[in-house]
Amino acid sequence: MNFVTKKWLLMKISSALLIPLMIWFILNLVSMYDADYIEVVSFFTTLSSKILVSLTLIFAYFFSALSISEVFEDYIQDEKIKNAANKVLNIFAIIVPLITIIVIFNLS
Amino acid sequence: MDNNNPLSPHIQVYRWHISSLVSISHRITGIVNIFAITVICMWILSLMLGESSYDLTKLFLKSIFGKFTIICLTWSFSFQVLSEIRHLVMDLGYGFELKTTKVTGLLVIFGSIFFTILFYFLGRNFI
Repeated sequence: MNFVTKKWLLMKISSALLIPLMIWFILNLVSMYDADYIEVVSFFTTLSSKILVSLTLIFAYFFSALSISEVFEDYIQDEKIKNAANKVLNIFAIIVPLITIIVIFNLS
Repeated sequence: MDNNNPLSPHIQVYRWHISSLVSISHRITGIVNIFAITVICMWILSLMLGESSYDLTKLFLKSIFGKFTIICLTWSFSFQVLSEIRHLVMDLGYGFELKTTKVTGLLVIFGSIFFTILFYFLGRNFI
């Protein structure tokens, strides 16, 4: 299997996994966006929330990095600029969810 | 070696169709969504700063503009979910007929509005 096929397959798998996670995420976002600090923290301190939010972030950033790299493929012709944009995108897609997940697992 | 791969055509060149509208909206909402999720990550990180520094975030989220932002995000997330389902179905080899692409495109557009209302009402315990 070549790189492009693998990328497409991973995009489709992450997309399918994201659908139920996003529905769960939207419902919880709507239900507690204006809640008090204590309520929000207590939501993130339950193990199920920690796991589901972490999975949502991992798949959302993974899927987005793959999708946005397709946008770069379509609109950026210069290979150097495209590679640099993809590198920045990948670093961003690793660091942001990683830091957030560490914080979520340390909230008490 | 020069890269002579053609780039995507400029969107203003063609007449708009339902499928092109859904396709470009899918890309735009995808980028908006990851930006929004990053802001939500910042919101989660702000929890580490304690209750007093959370007051400003709460003040914004409780305002009309905060509510409007959440409703827009609910629509953007709903649109992306429905459009992804449409893509997955097409990847399985279904829905390529011209009439079907129009119908599924319209389902994504109107379905995203319906699901925005549904998710908002469910989330706020109105139903």
